[in-house]
Amino acid sequence: MEWKNNFDLAKPSDFKTLDLLAVSGAREVNDREIVFAGTGLPMLAVSLAQKTNAPKASIVYEAGSMDGRPAHLPASVGDARCEHKASVSSGLMDVFSQLQKGAVDLAFLGGAEIDKYGNVNTTAVGDYMDPNASSRLAGSGGNPDINSMARRTVFIMVQEKRRFKEEVDYITSPGWRVKDWPSGKWKSRQEVYGSAYRGGPVAVITNMAVFRFDEQTGLMYLDTVHPGTTIEDIKANVGFDIDVSRCRGETPLPTYHELYLLYNVIDPEGIFVA
Amino acid sequence: MADFKSKKMTVPEAVRELIKDGDMMTFSGFTIWRRPMAMVHEIVRQGKKDLHLVEVNSGTHGEVLIGAGCVKVWESCFMGHELFGKIGANLNRKLKNGEIIVEDYSHVQMVMRLAAGSMGLPFLPTYCALGTDILNPEYDVLGKKGMRDGSNPRIPTEKFNYQEDPFYGERAVLNVPAARPNVCIAHVQQVGDEGTVKVMGQRYSDNEAMKAADKLIVVAEEIVPEEVIRQDPTANLIPHYLVDAIVEQPWGAHPTGCFGYYEVDGAFIRDFYSKTKTQEGFDAWAEEWILGCGDYNEYLYKLGFNRLDSLRANAAMNYSLRVKRGAR
Repeated sequence: MEWKNNFDLAKPSDFKTLDLLAVSGAREVNDREIVFAGTGLPMLAVSLAQKTNAPKASIVYEAGSMDGRPAHLPASVGDARCEHKASVSSGLMDVFSQLQKGAVDLAFLGGAEIDKYGNVNTTAVGDYMDPNASSRLAGSGGNPDINSMARRTVFIMVQEKRRFKEEVDYITSPGWRVKDWPSGKWKSRQEVYGSAYRGGPVAVITNMAVFRFDEQTGLMYLDTVHPGTTIEDIKANVGFDIDVSRCRGETPLPTYHELYLLYNVIDPEGIFVA
Repeated sequence: MADFKSKKMTVPEAVRELIKDGDMMTFSGFTIWRRPMAMVHEIVRQGKKDLHLVEVNSGTHGEVLIGAGCVKVWESCFMGHELFGKIGANLNRKLKNGEIIVEDYSHVQMVMRLAAGSMGLPFLPTYCALGTDILNPEYDVLGKKGMRDGSNPRIPTEKFNYQEDPFYGERAVLNVPAARPNVCIAHVQQVGDEGTVKVMGQRYSDNEAMKAADKLIVVAEEIVPEEVIRQDPTANLIPHYLVDAIVEQPWGAHPTGCFGYYEVDGAFIRDFYSKTKTQEGFDAWAEEWILGCGDYNEYLYKLGFNRLDSLRANAAMNYSLRVKRGAR
């Protein structure tokens, strides 16, 4: 079967979960948006969006390239491939300043733990101040900064009960209810950011489902489940009380053409999709 | 009158003469790109101690220094090897053993800290990462350890503070203190023989890192005639008069990548990361690749022509078209 230009929905046996994550991510991108993307799945998702629903979206990489048109998929944001045919290549100070001023519409980020308000931990699991009772992760990187200042953030994560927690062990990246320092009082994100408020997390795409956040309460709810996953599976893999009442059904499947683009055009070397 | 030519040094000379135990240091590059690995190896060889790293993000170079016991304090926001190792295994082990002190900021906050340092200002404001535990006063590690008492002029007396917007009545800003390292070690593509620095490709936080430090050591793939590097001044990043030492060391950033010159050596970093999971593993790696090599060129000979040749950048694309990167 020819996959190129075949817009039929793929059978679940014809794609992997990772492919579905990339496709689901791509569908979060609107045309002409300025998108901040990190290494890995975010790159795949935005690159796919540029070849499908959002041909005029621009990718900004935090290492300093703006709207590159790579001939080969970058393997990290510092990669020499990022700036191929870029509009501008400079550095972190430039792109982060643009971010802080409000230039970025959408960001794709990852996380190790997430709570019901979308607070994400990428710093340490366990007691942060007791290294023997905790395990350090990679650290914040640009996660909190990008998530602070982009209008919408989409998290792509592995779903496990221990990762979807009532409270994360360390808030690296802010969700919809956060601690206002130095008092440490829980407040809404809008209150804490005040005139610097731009938006926040809008979706969490996992290997099992897509979650979104209630606009009033900031609480996460189940939006769609991936094929083969039940609502019971979701409940068993979320460590807090998750609202499943708004579930719209199954996550829209990839088309064969999208799979063709992922495997043959975007990542033909098999760096991420293998 | 400065004698510009006298800036030229070898890697061992630059480490011996310009880096002291206890120095606060920062670096060029980004995670696994353009890290000054030749200098890092030599710092390990010369057994420098108690270094205080202040960096926008770390990577393979940081893990070498930390594994070798050269580092006492690490202030940054990220440690890992991208696709080739998700965390800093040496950092984690040393942290558990109480052998290193870690202070977390966010990426923007660290950029702003170095930017303030580069501008000669005491601090800069930002809005980034409000509402996070990075700002939790209970998690001010240097403060909790009594290191913000003013006895070290390079450690700020507060991790952060807040200030009302005095001009527009907008949200209070978060102020982050300047980073003021003793030394920045940069790896770049080209430097003129008087010291003018040219950085090709994404510049990461090089501008801020190089200008924040009191002393700047520039290691370049190539030292080129100053009159040639001045033919296109807009392509240059740092004027010669800010540079204290220039060192020529081809492949001096391996296994990290260098735009226009060579690729990240992912297989080498992945192997390094696996060895760092135990101190014995790291020590054996360091014995083989650093201490067992008399100098960096010996390390390059040990890597061999074939390996380096596969990493060599295609001159038209600025990266290698031959290195195998994925499963296909």
